[in-house]
Amino acid sequence: MSAARAFTLLTPAFLAVFALVLANLPVSVTGGLVPPPLLGLAVLYYWTLLRPDLIPPVLVLAIGLAEDFLSGGPPGLWAVGYLAAYALSDRQRDAFAGLSGWGVVIGFSAAMLTAAASAYLVGSLVYWRLTPPQPLLVQSIVTVVLYPLVAIILGVIHRNVVGASRGDD
Amino acid sequence: MAGGGWKLARNRSSVTAQLPLILCTVLAFVIVLLGKAEASIFDTARAKFSDWSAPALTALQGPVVAVQRWASGVSTFFSVYEENLQLREENEALRRWQDVALSLEQRVSRYELLLNAVPDPVLPSITAQVIGQSSRPFVQTMIVNAGIAHNVKKGQAVLDDRGLIGRVYVTGDTTSWIIRLTDLNSRVPVVLRPSNRRGILVGNNSMAPDLHLDSGEAPVEPGDRVYSTADGGLVPPDLPVGILMGEGDNLRVRLFADPDLSDYVQIVDYVAAIDPPPDDEGVPIGVPPATPEDLSATGVDTEAQAIADGVRPQ
Repeated sequence: MSAARAFTLLTPAFLAVFALVLANLPVSVTGGLVPPPLLGLAVLYYWTLLRPDLIPPVLVLAIGLAEDFLSGGPPGLWAVGYLAAYALSDRQRDAFAGLSGWGVVIGFSAAMLTAAASAYLVGSLVYWRLTPPQPLLVQSIVTVVLYPLVAIILGVIHRNVVGASRGDD
Repeated sequence: MAGGGWKLARNRSSVTAQLPLILCTVLAFVIVLLGKAEASIFDTARAKFSDWSAPALTALQGPVVAVQRWASGVSTFFSVYEENLQLREENEALRRWQDVALSLEQRVSRYELLLNAVPDPVLPSITAQVIGQSSRPFVQTMIVNAGIAHNVKKGQAVLDDRGLIGRVYVTGDTTSWIIRLTDLNSRVPVVLRPSNRRGILVGNNSMAPDLHLDSGEAPVEPGDRVYSTADGGLVPPDLPVGILMGEGDNLRVRLFADPDLSDYVQIVDYVAAIDPPPDDEGVPIGVPPATPEDLSATGVDTEAQAIADGVRPQ
């Protein structure tokens, strides 16, 4: 495998890590008013639809664990959430990938909702009480609102770097 | 498209095809349980990571704070006139309160001298810069640039100039993680004034933590002041915490401190031996009560006499 080919194949993973670190910088320009978006999930979702061969479950697990580690939360919480969203988008990949316009946002909203609900359940089990859902809801909304912008940027990278060929075609 | 999608979904639904996903999910749940049982492993790793990334975080703080100030300046630009009027009114009210506070401070110092009261201990503390904030759905923490090298220990109280913020829960060599009072894991013993009812302040990831009161009978009212207590031996007593809100079983506390606005915080070493107050600042234990001549010298005359006679001064 050439270096250029390896770079192409690893680009989604690199970008997922980059988005994760960017979103989890422990600084906030909004002064903590709004929780940071789950940019790592947005990147994983995008390429799970377009190049699932480049997004294996173990990468999703690793990015979820890194999210937990960097955010300071209970370990495994977002790992479970990310894997749940991955399971949904992987099973319904062709339905989600065929969406356009507002459908793209609705598709990602379903994945985000799955991840948030799973994380909420795990969080409630870890803390052994029902945690307030509002902050999680706000974080989910922020992530969904930013997804079109993220998708545009990833689209440019996908067309110019990763390529459209699908591993399981 | 949809038909093909469902066909693909059926093909991928076999256990063999889903085995990696199933294994990863099981592994994630194992890590959840492991994190619950052995949280120190992950906390130590986080401390090492924050130690390693501290220089970068410190460098990032400058531009981020500048952007925050610029953004807040823009948002208040159109309300400067109203805000100026409001500040003038507040300033006048605060000046009146300052006079009252100075008068009361003088009176309390006289009473302390009269009663030979032991002065409040001077607690050793350090000031640290906040280099990171984490305000998320399941965690509310801060990172400061002081750690084991600066004698910071797990459990120590952290406050800003307005009141208690939280406690240290992870210490690295040069950084520490602080769990805020609003975090889901936070539990801090408090006391209400003037009722002296005790309770536990329980974080709920909102700006107003829940208050679980003890089984006492003394009535509490919205607006009562909430202070820390030394119950448990880690948090110093009488640190201002907030104001009581709500009634009945739905009691919450509006915090004085606002960690999102805190650039620097104070970490109080309450666990360590308390330094005795300097000789020139306190009255040593065992000194006989102040004489009338002492009181006259400090300006205590009629009030002192009234207290000595058992009459409450007006």
